[in-house]
Amino acid sequence: MRALVIDDSRAMRRIVTSILEGFGYELRDAGHGREALDVLNEGWVPDLVTVDWNMPVMDGLQFVSAVRSNPAWRSMTMMMVTSESEHTQIVRALAAGAHEYVIKPFTADAIRDKLALLGLLPQEAVL
Amino acid sequence: MTLSRDFVSDTGERRRAGDARPVIGELIDEATIESIAQEAWVSLVGEDEILVPVPVDLPADAVSAWVDVVGPWTGTVVLSTGKETAEDLCRALLGPAAPPVIEDEDVADAFGEIANVVGGNVKAVLPGPSALSLPEVGDAPAVRSPADYVRLDVLWRGEPVSISVQGALPALPDRNPQHEENHEENEVSL
Repeated sequence: MRALVIDDSRAMRRIVTSILEGFGYELRDAGHGREALDVLNEGWVPDLVTVDWNMPVMDGLQFVSAVRSNPAWRSMTMMMVTSESEHTQIVRALAAGAHEYVIKPFTADAIRDKLALLGLLPQEAVL
Repeated sequence: MTLSRDFVSDTGERRRAGDARPVIGELIDEATIESIAQEAWVSLVGEDEILVPVPVDLPADAVSAWVDVVGPWTGTVVLSTGKETAEDLCRALLGPAAPPVIEDEDVADAFGEIANVVGGNVKAVLPGPSALSLPEVGDAPAVRSPADYVRLDVLWRGEPVSISVQGALPALPDRNPQHEENHEENEVSL
């Protein structure tokens, strides 16, 4: 399975990437939504996208909306991973088309649990 | 028990139209900041990473990372520590994903992300809705109003770290003493 990690913090990209690599994902990353759209437009379509909210150039909410407006990308599962923890923000993200919402700080177990709920935990990671 | 006449007939309009603005000490205390910071440290830095609340002085080479909160309360959440401690935080945050050589950019990025996470969770306990800025790193923003300022000092691995939540707006003018007097006259016994 493939995952695209979008976060303006290189440190956070490394952390999320490291967790997902441990679950057997093939990974790419991007520093903001526009860069992530470039990856998708190359034809590299992931099964999972983790996306931060507050980023320069194109934020996470704009990215989710852009992805949802393209039928070719409907199969992707999008998980917001962000420090935005207000209820109204969570509702906005889910309404825009995000499937799951993880609030920073998180643990690897929290990511694993969300992936299991979404049916995106590779079999080798379950064992 | 007394209740002011203002309150009895209050529809909310007066409070909205008035010049009262919450100061941070009315909205969050040091214990809440400590709880937020500790959760961030355990999740991001490491399970055994404990913050010990104790008054500390920051070293002369202190660096700061901060995020702005803009909403019913507007201000800044600032993390400050010594340069070397910031580098140690970066290494701990990245763990096995750390590059062999940690550059200044890596330190700024990691320290900024910790400020982002702490700031986001501080924002969540303040009145909303609020917006959160991207993190910045450098010399700490000046304290605009000492009355709108809460600071928590901690030790992490024996090194000082401070976390402050400080209003971005200048202090409100003192209330007119005459107004205070009139206010008291409006109180009625219940």
